Amino acid sequence: MDWGIVGDILRLTALGGLGVAGVIAVLIWKKNRSTRVTFLRFVIQATALAAIFYVLSYTVSPASGGLPPIMFLYVMVAVFAMTIVLGRVFCGWLCPFGFIMDLESQIRRAAKIRYRIVPDKFNVALHKSRYVILLVFLLLPVVLWFSDPRPIMVSPLMAQLLAGHYRPYSVLLDPLIPFIVPWKGQVIVDQVNLTYPYALSIITYAGTNIGQILAIAFVGTTLAGAFAVRRVWCRFCPTGASLAVVNRFKGFKWAPILHISKDEEKCTKCGVCKRVCPVQVNEVYEQKSGKIITSQCMVCARCVEMCPYEDVLMVKLGSKTLFKSRNWLEPSRNE
Amino acid sequence: MNEPVEKRYMPEVSRKEIDELKTTMKAASQKVMAENIERMKKADPKRPEAMKYFDEISNLFGKRQEEIAAEKAKGKKVIGYMCLFAPTELILAADAIPVRVNSGWYDTSKLGDRVVPVEVCPVIRSTIGAKMIELSPFMEQSDALISVLTCDGMTKLGEILSDYKTIWGMNVPRIKDSTQSLRFWNDEIKQMKNQIETFTGNKITRNKLKEAIELSHRATKAFRRLQELRKGSPVIMGRDAMLVNQTFLWDDKLRWTQKTEALCDELEKRAQRKDWVCSPDTPRVMITGTPMFWPDNWKLPTLVEESNPQGIIVADEQCSGERILNDPVGVDEWSMDDMLNAIGERYLMASTCPCFTSKDGNEDRINWLLNKVKDWKVQGVVYYVVRGCMLYAMEYTRVKKALDKINVPVYYLDTEYTREDVGQMKTRVEAFLEMLTARVDM
Repeated sequence: MDWGIVGDILRLTALGGLGVAGVIAVLIWKKNRSTRVTFLRFVIQATALAAIFYVLSYTVSPASGGLPPIMFLYVMVAVFAMTIVLGRVFCGWLCPFGFIMDLESQIRRAAKIRYRIVPDKFNVALHKSRYVILLVFLLLPVVLWFSDPRPIMVSPLMAQLLAGHYRPYSVLLDPLIPFIVPWKGQVIVDQVNLTYPYALSIITYAGTNIGQILAIAFVGTTLAGAFAVRRVWCRFCPTGASLAVVNRFKGFKWAPILHISKDEEKCTKCGVCKRVCPVQVNEVYEQKSGKIITSQCMVCARCVEMCPYEDVLMVKLGSKTLFKSRNWLEPSRNE
Repeated sequence: MNEPVEKRYMPEVSRKEIDELKTTMKAASQKVMAENIERMKKADPKRPEAMKYFDEISNLFGKRQEEIAAEKAKGKKVIGYMCLFAPTELILAADAIPVRVNSGWYDTSKLGDRVVPVEVCPVIRSTIGAKMIELSPFMEQSDALISVLTCDGMTKLGEILSDYKTIWGMNVPRIKDSTQSLRFWNDEIKQMKNQIETFTGNKITRNKLKEAIELSHRATKAFRRLQELRKGSPVIMGRDAMLVNQTFLWDDKLRWTQKTEALCDELEKRAQRKDWVCSPDTPRVMITGTPMFWPDNWKLPTLVEESNPQGIIVADEQCSGERILNDPVGVDEWSMDDMLNAIGERYLMASTCPCFTSKDGNEDRINWLLNKVKDWKVQGVVYYVVRGCMLYAMEYTRVKKALDKINVPVYYLDTEYTREDVGQMKTRVEAFLEMLTARVDM
């Protein structure tokens, strides 16, 4: 038995404890109801960032420079499964790239610059394109393998895509890595190149590899874009391809379990929910009542937090209400 | 000052006639105000101490008028408005004083008949009449008027008053849940901001606007606290609460907030003592429909709360009442653009004015009424309409159908700006309350 794994688990548990402490601290100190959930989300996102940073840079076999490629596949499958069952919680509350875009938004806010609004139709088109992008990246390794058949040893094609020698083409989980461990050098394990553009390789290899140029361009544009448009990448990120569409069919009404729900009678249609949504989900305003059916929603609960009327919007887990909109002008009755 | 040479609407009235009418009507109005307050005091022998302040401020010719005059002497501008759609936050941010200038005087509506036909809504006629004889102190003090084109009456009222004052029109789109309407209205708000800035000479900066919005948040908070107290067994007479809400239209916003907080403190203590203003079994009535303006148009609340059997007004849905403060400005980011958009949305989208229409009908108003009936445990609704108020009258059928579904009786009460029908109204209100009492007993 490798005692290193036990150590890793202990360290991650300690980190989780810190996260919980942060959440409790926010709950106690943050009295302003219109920003409370936002702060909670920041704490959880920061904890998730630290955890992912630790996993990517120290755990399992540090000598090899990270996790074995197959692990990326497991992570992907886990995220997808979670998205179908729970909704896009990963995007709203855990994703480090989302966290970075949120931080950019905060900087923009501090600079008193207004965000740009993407026209509704274009926004929906972007959202639909995420499924196309996902399909392309599922097919890409097969196509590439035919053009350049290398022996695939341990991992199936998907893992090759996510962490293998076609890695520069991948935009699925890669965007996260340079933000988390930017200084890591070129790593090759089992003839598999685990490198992604980091500061050093940008300088060294820029221009030598079409995939790397694309990746650099991608990182540059999304980072710049997030200053102007809130959560720009989340509008078409294939990782966030949620199967919330399935709940339109019979037998799938339960999915996703975690969702936003609305009470029509108390709503005055003031439109605040629509304006504050970082990914411009219109359904929360347009839909009359009940479960908000959309796969664009990241369950960040900003609309619930900003809704000025009691009990109109709520975050629900199944049929249980986790958090309700309330009159944010005053502290709740039981305080 | 801004008066055009030729008056396009208003008849020439001699100075002597103006002065004569003004003196008599002012005296009559002061009597009516004193009488109304006297009756309110009698209705609740243990009336809260804090109400004294609102009694004082409700005197249109009293303290507040002098204060505004003093502020004006110091160079502040006063901007009047006739419809709740006027963005008061912008006026406050430009260091000007917002006052609502609609008139509730019965007598002046007769004078208004000289300008517009008698079929026109009496609120409009009365406001015209009040301007004709310079009765309303706030109207006289205002340097410019914001006229929002909501109902037909309001649309022409601005034009008629432009014989005397600078008028800024604001177009309201009639369908509120479409993106182009909101875009259009947001442009109107920006335009209004520029106009106010040029007129007052004060730039509306980000910080000033933020302060103004936070001030109105505080006021909404106080207002909601008062409404919350009215949900339980009655601790305050409906008329008192209605007066408190209405004084906000001309009072200093900060002071109003503090005084309302004080009133709520007192009422909370009262609720703890279980010292109700009337028996908790008293039928709980809600009023909806045409706005009722202090001082003269106070007959319906007076009748409801003084009739035998008695009723208690626990809520209203009127732009002279709860709609003034119900909705806060929901700002996401404190940048200028976002604040302006938030103000635009608060005034357009959250409004339940019947001037709106949409494919669902004015859904929001119905929902709001149903919700109020549920939360305030309303047992009967009085649908109050003055003759000539088309929009409210036409929505009655829909409201009745919606309320019938949840088995809440609604009574259509139409009246005029006159004292002559009080006796007849009393009979009607009593019959309705009698029926409500019978239902309560069952």
